[in-house]
Formats: sequence, C-alpha cells, structure tokens
Amino acid sequence: MSGFAIDPCDQCEELLQPFLDRDLSEEERMVAEDHLTGCEYCRKRYRFEEQLRRFVRQAVVEPMSPELKTKLAELRTPLI
Amino acid sequence: MAAVGETAPETEARRLAEDARDRVRFEEEALELADQVYRVARRMVSSREEAEDLMQETYARAFRSWRSFQPGTNLRAWLLRILTNLNIDRGRRVQRAPDMQPLEEGDYFLYNKLEESTQAPNPDEERVLERLSQDDAVSALSAVPHDFRDAIVLVDIGDFSYNDAAQILDIPVGTVMSRLHRGRRILKRELADRAVTDGGDVT
Repeated sequence: MSGFAIDPCDQCEELLQPFLDRDLSEEERMVAEDHLTGCEYCRKRYRFEEQLRRFVRQAVVEPMSPELKTKLAELRTPLI
Repeated sequence: MAAVGETAPETEARRLAEDARDRVRFEEEALELADQVYRVARRMVSSREEAEDLMQETYARAFRSWRSFQPGTNLRAWLLRILTNLNIDRGRRVQRAPDMQPLEEGDYFLYNKLEESTQAPNPDEERVLERLSQDDAVSALSAVPHDFRDAIVLVDIGDFSYNDAAQILDIPVGTVMSRLHRGRRILKRELADRAVTDGGDVT
C-alpha cells in the first residue's frame, strides 16, 4: 500500500482518455506507463478502450445511398 | 490590363474559362469527400432522411459559395462547418450549455459491468467486447446528448483534430476536449445499459 491518498488505479483510470489521445504531458505519461507495467487490471481496461473505440467507429458507419450520391452530383453548376 | 496583341474581350473570355475550371475542380473535390462528410452527418442527426436532406442543402450552399473557400485549407472541415450551421439554423438542435452534473461512472465502468455479466472467469478483453452488438453501438451513440455527440462524431468517427472540431462547432478547443471526454463516458454508460438489458449469452 502506498501512502498516497489517491488510489493508483483510480489515477490511471483518469489518465486513460488523454493517454490514448496522446494528450498527456511527459510526466503524466510516465506515471501511466509505470503503473500499467505492473498492473494487469488497468492494462486490460486500456486495451479494451482501444478496441472499443475501433468497434464503435466501424459499427456506426452507414454508407451513403447511391441515390443521394446522384442527387449531390446533380447539384453541380451546369457547364454552359 | 490586356496583354499585348490581345483584346479586352479575349482577356475576359480567358478569365471566365479559368473561373469555370476552378469551380469544376472545386465541385469535383467536394463530391469526392461526400462519403466522409456523410459518415459524420449521419450520426449528427437522428434519421437517414434528415442526414440526406442536410447533405443536399450543404452541397447546394457549398457550390453557391465556393469562392469563399480558401484553397489549401481543409475542405472537409469547411463542408462540415456549413452542415453544422444549417443543422442549427433549421432548429433541429438548440445550442445550449450542456449539462455539467458530475457523472458517477468513470472510464472503467463499462468494462467492469460487461466483465461482471460474462460467465467465464477472468475473461480477456476481446471476449468482453463481444457482449456488445453493432445495434448497441448505434443506439447508444444516438442516446448521447447532441453537444457531446457532435464532439465524439467529429473526433472519433470523423478523425478531425480538436482544432478542426472546435472550428466546425464554433466553440473553444478546451470545450471540445471536455465534451469529448464526458461524451465518451456517457456513451459507455449507454452501452453498459444496453449490453446488460440484452441479458444472457450472445447468440
């Protein structure tokens, strides 16, 4: 047990989003990396978050209909 | 000023031809981006019909005001800025200060919830993710309030930078980041609700 008031896993949880966004200071990134090296619990949750983002991204894509594509092309200025 | 040996009408004709060529090029480039613009547009509104109307209005306006686009800047962001403004103008969404009540669930919430409902002891994260279906993702995203959803859709689905998203939404970069952060947590809470109500094993 460390003497810190903050639980290291809670702290790691707070750093998850900026870590994956590459938006942490060098110092914060080191804190997260050091903790992740020794903590399987957090590592799993970080890996899950990465996969979740990819999953959501692919799951919500709905291709544009060919009809819409045609309609947009028809909006072009006619060449006189 | 006409060049030597060239009459004024010829200069004018050449200028018009160049103008037409630039316009055609602009329109072609904008159309090439339509799939990517639609991907974002579709998730900013609730139905396919709305997204299709919005796309047509956006392209009609873009083609009319093509001269105001600065070549060399991000055309996809420019198109989405038009689209976002049209969406607001139509009163589809009201710009309001988002609810900033503290959110109870942190970033591990979804994983913990899914892991709990997985029968296997200590499952790996792929197994945990399998508890979510494509429909869960679509409906959970649409349940996220507009302001937060727009940030998620632009950055996580549309691959825009924070800066581009800030310009498109006309809000400060810091606001994009805080909405994104909070929006992703709301999304995870919505996903957790859906996965849990699905119940039982994935068939």
